[in-house]
Amino acid sequence: MTTQDLIDKIGLKPLSKFEHRNVDGVFISDMISDVMAGAKSGNLWLTVQTHKSIVPAANLVDVAAIVITSGKEVPQETIALASKYNIGILCTGLPTFELVGKLYASGLSPNNPLK
Amino acid sequence: MQIRMIKEALGASVIESEDRLDTVVEHIYASDLMSDVLAFGKPNSILLTGLATQQAVISTYMAEFKGVVFIRGKRPKDGSLKFAKDNHLILLSTELDMFEACVRIDAFSKGRLLKPGTGVVEEKPAMLLNHELFINGSDFANAGMVSTEVKSILKKIGFDPKLIRRVAISTYEGEMNVVMHAIRARVTLAVTPKVIEVVIDDEGKGIPDVEQAMQEGYTTATEEMRAMGFGSGMGLPNIKRNSDELVIKSAIGKGTILQMKFFI
Repeated sequence: MTTQDLIDKIGLKPLSKFEHRNVDGVFISDMISDVMAGAKSGNLWLTVQTHKSIVPAANLVDVAAIVITSGKEVPQETIALASKYNIGILCTGLPTFELVGKLYASGLSPNNPLK
Repeated sequence: MQIRMIKEALGASVIESEDRLDTVVEHIYASDLMSDVLAFGKPNSILLTGLATQQAVISTYMAEFKGVVFIRGKRPKDGSLKFAKDNHLILLSTELDMFEACVRIDAFSKGRLLKPGTGVVEEKPAMLLNHELFINGSDFANAGMVSTEVKSILKKIGFDPKLIRRVAISTYEGEMNVVMHAIRARVTLAVTPKVIEVVIDDEGKGIPDVEQAMQEGYTTATEEMRAMGFGSGMGLPNIKRNSDELVIKSAIGKGTILQMKFFI
């Protein structure tokens, strides 16, 4: 699955400018410290945090994209910074739980810790 | 390789400009034929040339080079200097000839400093890059920008993405600790052919019990920091996991030095 598929098939809305890439696994957390420690390169990161510091975190951990769930409004400065570093920010009005259901049904496997 | 290191290898003087010597170049291109530079030069290179004309400077800019080293003590004229300044090109000048300049840069990158004119070889730690960055405590708006810069520099040099990720994550955890708990810090990124070293030297309250701070889940972060998603007490353990060597020195009321090594 690619970030393009998330837009076309799941209906996520892209907010930042970025190059599409492959999505490999999903990581859900609103604790940046958890993301730094647990997310894998290529994961899709689901969160409700919208402040600017999610961008450096996403860039450093090398996630495939950030998905802001629950219809949270994303500040313009967060979007601008993400575009600058080629980090995808996608959003959805769905709560995290419902989005996860759709992602799972579409064949995205959880982040396998043994991988 | 950082242009500062090329300057040191060649004993070169700086024509333009002292404050951009931290720039990193990926390739060295030696030529006096500007048509070759335009045809075969790669972006982010530095040119070694004996051609001190305006064409040399302009071609360098068109080929997206970072700068020029003029050999045999040549110096470009005023028009070229202005062009270089306006377009942020770096210009160095060395007394060495082309052959010796190339040999010295190569030797320097392998840890040998050749003494000009004597043929004497001095062993030194081969330093490809030595870059300083600064973090301000409590500056949450820019939190993560220093680690992002470190990642960009390492990416330009072309290291393995997995290695870069380990350095980036460790530096970020260290940076967040400074933003959350310290007043300010100096970050030094040093790269040799064998190791990447990041040192975060902060001015702050220090860590009373380093062993306790290394425990997963131990945190002294405020509620506000935790609301932003930081401070779950995973920082130092995460650095430990991602680095090959970690040394922490802390003095109460003075600050903490975090020394991280990553073997290439």
